[in-house]
Amino acid sequence: MNGRTDTLIIGAGLNGLVTAYYLAKAGRRPLVLERRAAIGGTCSTGELAPGFRVPTLLHATGPLRPRLAAEMGLERHGLAMLESETRLFSVSADGRPLVLWRDPRRTAESIAAFSPADADNYPKFGEAVTRLAGALSDLLDMTPPDIDHPGLRDITALLGTARKVRALGPRDFYRLLRWMPMAVADVAAEWFETEVLRAAIGARAVLGQAAGPWSAGTGANFFLRAAADPHVAGSVVAPRGGPGALAEAVAGAARAAGAQIRTGADVVRIDIDHGVATGVTLRSGERIDAPTVVSGADPKGTLLRLVDPAHIGPDMRRRLRNIRSRGVTAKVNLALGGLPTFTALKGLGTDAAAALGGRILVAPEIDYVERAFDASKYGQVSDQPFLEATIPSLLDPTLAPAGKHVMSVLAQFAPYHLREGDWAERRDALGDLVVKTLAARAPDLPGLVEHRQVITPRDLEEDWGLTEGHLFQGEEALDQIFTMRPILGFARYRSPIAGLYMCGAGTHPGGGLTGANGRSAARAILADRR
Amino acid sequence: MATRYDAIIIGGGHNGLIAAAYLAKAGRKVVALERRHVLGGAAVTEEVFPGFRFSVFSYVVSLLRPEIIRDLDLPRHGLEILPLDGTFTPMPNGDYLWRMDDHARSIREIARHSKTDAEAYEEFGKAMQALCRFVRPILAMLPPDPTKPDFKDMLNLLFLGRRFKALPYEDRYNLVQLMTMSAADFLDQWFETPALKGTMSASGIIGTFLGVRSPGTAYVLLHHYMGEIDGAFRAWGFSKGGTGGISNACGAAARAFGAEIRTEAAVARILVKDGTAKGVVLQNGDEIHADIVASSLDPRLTFLRLLDPRHLPDEFVEGVNRYKFRGSSGKVNLALDALPEFTCMPGKGAHLRGAISISPSIEYMERAYDEAKYGAFSRRPYIDCVIPSLTDPSVAPPGKHVMSCFVQYAPYKLKEGPEDWDNQREAFGDTVVNTLAEHMPNLKNIILHRQVMTPLDMERIVGLSEGNIFQGELGLEQLFFLRPVAGWARFRTPVRNLYLCGSAAHPGGGIMGAPGRMAALEILKDWKRGIA
Repeated sequence: MNGRTDTLIIGAGLNGLVTAYYLAKAGRRPLVLERRAAIGGTCSTGELAPGFRVPTLLHATGPLRPRLAAEMGLERHGLAMLESETRLFSVSADGRPLVLWRDPRRTAESIAAFSPADADNYPKFGEAVTRLAGALSDLLDMTPPDIDHPGLRDITALLGTARKVRALGPRDFYRLLRWMPMAVADVAAEWFETEVLRAAIGARAVLGQAAGPWSAGTGANFFLRAAADPHVAGSVVAPRGGPGALAEAVAGAARAAGAQIRTGADVVRIDIDHGVATGVTLRSGERIDAPTVVSGADPKGTLLRLVDPAHIGPDMRRRLRNIRSRGVTAKVNLALGGLPTFTALKGLGTDAAAALGGRILVAPEIDYVERAFDASKYGQVSDQPFLEATIPSLLDPTLAPAGKHVMSVLAQFAPYHLREGDWAERRDALGDLVVKTLAARAPDLPGLVEHRQVITPRDLEEDWGLTEGHLFQGEEALDQIFTMRPILGFARYRSPIAGLYMCGAGTHPGGGLTGANGRSAARAILADRR
Repeated sequence: MATRYDAIIIGGGHNGLIAAAYLAKAGRKVVALERRHVLGGAAVTEEVFPGFRFSVFSYVVSLLRPEIIRDLDLPRHGLEILPLDGTFTPMPNGDYLWRMDDHARSIREIARHSKTDAEAYEEFGKAMQALCRFVRPILAMLPPDPTKPDFKDMLNLLFLGRRFKALPYEDRYNLVQLMTMSAADFLDQWFETPALKGTMSASGIIGTFLGVRSPGTAYVLLHHYMGEIDGAFRAWGFSKGGTGGISNACGAAARAFGAEIRTEAAVARILVKDGTAKGVVLQNGDEIHADIVASSLDPRLTFLRLLDPRHLPDEFVEGVNRYKFRGSSGKVNLALDALPEFTCMPGKGAHLRGAISISPSIEYMERAYDEAKYGAFSRRPYIDCVIPSLTDPSVAPPGKHVMSCFVQYAPYKLKEGPEDWDNQREAFGDTVVNTLAEHMPNLKNIILHRQVMTPLDMERIVGLSEGNIFQGELGLEQLFFLRPVAGWARFRTPVRNLYLCGSAAHPGGGIMGAPGRMAALEILKDWKRGIA
């Protein structure tokens, strides 16, 4: 390989591939090394059983930053995005349905059944979220500024955002300042009285995070999500063929630009000489040299596991160990013999199936989600978990045999660190718990399950290389975002090792399959070369 | 009632009295009006049972600004702070953790539990002191208006930015962590001994409706190191004669400067004409007129009870309505026939002279919070006790003692509503006594009298809305330029000549006195400019 590549990218997840594309397009010769047999990382489609294909981990994309798809020409590489008419369906504690559609009129009808005041407030809150998220949206695409030596680019970018924020006017400006450090439960309560609606807003903020809706600072999580997708409940956008199709399209674009991708190439060490990265060593013993190494793996794992401690120093290692990445999310994928019948939807007639086309939440009340989180603080799994599910085969029938379906369920809170027992022995119990929890809302579901896959936080670490099984490569808390992601002083995709860069979800702007991390990382790498 | 005043101060708590003293010192004719028969608000001493003088609510002092002590010459007016030495934490395994002011002894004691913690404790102290030097000026800073910063604001921000840049990496790293993290996560990075982490984390949640795992609670850890480097007095202490001694000294200083102070003078209404405050009407119907009115009450009472909201912009009223109080603590005051005795350390040693903390671990603290979140008082509460009569015998009959127990969590909003506290008060008191008795078996036999103060009682007696001891949550969204209402953090209000001077104003609660002083200085500034 020597002489043919100048940049090694560890991990063919979405961000690794995006980085590869932008580097290749700029004339570099990147080689992407993926330890698994398939590319995609958390952006994968897997075959659960013959004919059943399911989003293995994340089931909705960020969505992808708008200009990425155009710049990479992803449509030419086979990407077709599908968007559901339904944003979200949830069931209240007393068994009534809340359905948030893309159509505002139908959404208002559904909310009005709970509270006419909330139905009135919903579009107002939506407008505020869209305005505030719009002002923040540019931050997702920028490299966090260098506090010590702010460059012209940093200043212009920040001034641009500052201007946008100022243009919001004092009212929205103060909203932004107040809402970010607040608990998302309080933000939701300022606008709505309907518990199931409050819980839907809270659920969006805490998905993937070791936080409950009453945790201070989850307001910021909500706005971080909204900055990429400026709707109250988010949208359900999925590539035809599942998330893996997105990774394939990006890989296609990267290859067309000159990048190479190798699977089954497990990097076990980043080689460093005199503080400068020189290449990597694979599990097979093979060494690949290159002056630039980019890790799409999580920063904590990259710097603590792949780099010899001698090159990092004890203080930095301590800080890296302190990056909070306690995984709390498990994944359960189901192959279903038919569409489950949710009791709450019985009155909806023909809309009943359509209501299942977006996110399906088991989060009847804010306190329900909070209690599920409470248990995880003490290393336990609540017997009333919070679930976010989708039935992607409704939007994309190619994913399952005719008349059958696949269901993708993110389950919280399943703490990586269990107080008793280990995940290998608790895996089936977790699968049973998820099915039981769904069955309480859709009694025919257990009978429809033909195949089941349970992925615990431990599996996320062992099979996907996510340290402590954190889906977003580290908590997105106030102390671990923007200039502090992954760590203060190294938020600009560079690492303490010269020539070693980071491009995964553990960098700014965090997780959620937006591709922004990869694009910004490539920009940082290219800037250093000049 | 022909008398006219330059200024009326509503509320005779320590902040109101400090504001009155500063205005009187500047030569203004001031009257302070207190609803109760005693001065002090929540900083009050009362002889609840004959011979036993309780610091009914606030019970220790650490943050009283040294410049106030100097400016008002408080020691001459009777202020005497007695040392509160150390914190004693009984542990579930029958051992204890005892930290003292004597640094070397504390380190030896911590090393008994963990050598690495003892080393980290030294480092931690140094790190905190470095940050105190950075943060202290902010406490005394007038919050800028971020939407339209004036020249002074820009200078202040620039000054802060420069200072931040000048910090070494390690200090910066610690600072951003402290400002954003939870006390538990922050302490987990430094220490391993559960009792040490539990006890240290407690300072992050006192008076707030947050748990030790809630982001934003780490910052308060810093305050514990703030007093030490001021050098004026010890980090924590008692006031001689009980906490009311502080208020009385402030009151005496105000009177000495010429202020008039009236008790049993409850204000019913603030008089407003053409958007300008003109004075107040007392509950007995008397009218008092003045150029300015400064309220040391919380925003709910000031703006929604004493004012007609039509004098206020809707957006402001909305802000006041949203302002979070959420009282979370209770108080149990005990009159004791003798000293309590610990199983883990029998005898009447010096450990009884400091704070006694029931906070065996982070998990214990967090579980106490979990229960409160859903509207119940903690069955296993965090308790912080002091026995001031050991240091200051004047507060109890000879040979007898008073014990002051601060308890968290006692949420104002119980599941069945705040009024349910009337049914639960004694059960709450029993929980506290039972929890303590696990460590001090003789306690139940020596209790002569018991006074239980719930958040509902604090609201009724002192007028603290929802029983919040800081006049409103100290969450990031209610601090600095957001306190109490975004855009109104500079002691002024939408009503001309009406000011806030209590704990609901920047920089917040505790017996610090800063809001009272800063408000008075702003009022004097406005007078000088001729706009008040």
